[in-house]
Amino acid sequence: MKILTRRTFLRVSGLGAALLGAGRLPSFAAEARRRVIVIGGGWGGATAAKYVRLTDPSIEVTLLEPSKEFISCPFSNLVLAGVESLKNLTMNYNGLRKHGVKIRHEAAAAIEPDKRRVRVGKDSLEYDRLIVSPGIDFQWELVEGLAQAKDTVLHAWKAGPQTVQLAKQLQSLPDGGVVVMTVPPVAYRCPPGPYERASMIAWYLQTKKPKSKLIVLDANKDIVSKTGLFKAIFKDYANLDYRPSQKVEKIDVGAKEVTTEPGDKVKYDVINLIPPQRAGAIAVEADLVGGDKRWCEVDHVTYESVKQKNIHVIGDATIGLPVPKSGNVANAMGKICATAVVSLLNGKAPPVIAPGNTCYSWVNDKEAIAVVNAYKIENGKVVQIEQKLTPGKSVAVAQNSLVWRASIWNDVLG
Amino acid sequence: MRKSLLMSSAVTSFVLMLAVFNAGAGPLDSPGAQKSLVCSACHGVAGNAPGNTVPILAAMAPSYFKKAINDYAAGRRPSPEMEPYSKYVMQFGLDDIADYFAVQRKQAPAKIKSDPKALSRGATLASQCAACHGAQGEGDAFRVVPALRGQPAGYLKAQMDLFKGDKRKLDAAEQDKIKKTMFKGLGAADFADLAAYYSR
Repeated sequence: MKILTRRTFLRVSGLGAALLGAGRLPSFAAEARRRVIVIGGGWGGATAAKYVRLTDPSIEVTLLEPSKEFISCPFSNLVLAGVESLKNLTMNYNGLRKHGVKIRHEAAAAIEPDKRRVRVGKDSLEYDRLIVSPGIDFQWELVEGLAQAKDTVLHAWKAGPQTVQLAKQLQSLPDGGVVVMTVPPVAYRCPPGPYERASMIAWYLQTKKPKSKLIVLDANKDIVSKTGLFKAIFKDYANLDYRPSQKVEKIDVGAKEVTTEPGDKVKYDVINLIPPQRAGAIAVEADLVGGDKRWCEVDHVTYESVKQKNIHVIGDATIGLPVPKSGNVANAMGKICATAVVSLLNGKAPPVIAPGNTCYSWVNDKEAIAVVNAYKIENGKVVQIEQKLTPGKSVAVAQNSLVWRASIWNDVLG
Repeated sequence: MRKSLLMSSAVTSFVLMLAVFNAGAGPLDSPGAQKSLVCSACHGVAGNAPGNTVPILAAMAPSYFKKAINDYAAGRRPSPEMEPYSKYVMQFGLDDIADYFAVQRKQAPAKIKSDPKALSRGATLASQCAACHGAQGEGDAFRVVPALRGQPAGYLKAQMDLFKGDKRKLDAAEQDKIKKTMFKGLGAADFADLAAYYSR
């Protein structure tokens, strides 16, 4: 005889929602393992997987993450300037295993929302709730010539081998050579990231290659984040040529030249082209993205997709909340979403909690600036309560950032 | 007030017991834990901050937790991080969060290598602090005086620097005057010794 699973029973009985609302059914305990699958083990996904287990250890959590290593994007700009090593930013997932998270180092091949299944290799994994934290992917096709050249034109916008390669290219640059970096149009991962990178590269060139210069071609009209602070910092770098409203349209690898929307042609010796971005491919393929085909709209309290029931999206892939695409926000979303998912699985109302954001940017080998944002939920939507910027760059802020990273990495993975 | 503090932690313990009874409920299944979810990014799970400059909130007296949050929100304690986050936690009211941290088991702060002589110099200097902060630096929840013992050295030192630079003041003018006089005679080396002593 086929054993009746709890879910089958609930579906057959047609009382699923009502019974779930009444709490757990101990008699079905052995069969009633609720399953949460998390796609993506970055700042959001790893946090969510851990916190579902911390909040309700009776829930089975499977994390799908192809990489065996977690490499922190925050602080990877320091690697480019030789003041940090990628090794110090690389961690493993053993901490999550201690919380009982099952990890499969494989990519999710497809989501089947109607069947509540995720395909992984030849397997189909069933879920009660799915948390999708796919990060970003690049829109190569939006820059002419980039799709063909993408392996040689570095983005270094996902920390890893490209970070090290770009650092090496900068080291090999002859003194007097020109570095060009491009900033994509909003929205993109880590709003202050390109400007931190520009500062760190300018600092590196000033120190090691004093005849070299950095040209920053920004697709946006102005510096996107910590604007006043970065403007003051850029003034200190005579070798930094910042050009707003210069969206890169074309790259010619042979001629070592990029063309921008106004038609300017800019020659380079080293190029760092950060392409336009959208949510990770799996979110696009599962139709979790909105009309823009780029980002995923979610409920601001539960992070459940507005397009697919029982699927939650967190981190950089989301849109519509007035929060930056930052690691700290992804971590906060991971925790809030985990709590919401556990509440929903236990038939309780999810708590109404907004994220917070702490964001440090280094601007040379010793000093950093920061912005901190606090939010609340008003009429079901996240709104900002307060934003505070540091008055200027300082060693103290840089030191705080080192404490922050140790703490938050522990919160994500420990 | 002492009574109400005891009462509130008794209520919290009862709520936590109920939470434990709910099979499958984890350590975060309480209102205070949920309302303080974002705090763990810096202050660690259950308020046990792993960083040297971040205060440990586990086992903190609720009276002092609330005072600290109110002071940050009012700009009485300068911190680019805590000014926004104090307003963040205030949206929930502070009772649940304060009670949640108060009942968490405190772990020792991250070990900082310190020379035994620094500890003994710190112990001598600490006699000046004992009148308010207690013989062992245990603090006084009733008078809303924070415990110093077991807080990370970097955090303690940063606070002493703020007091010395008059960027952090005590509420009562009279007390603040005494503090100023006390701190006048102390320098960076003394602060390091005191921080080593209290963080042990």
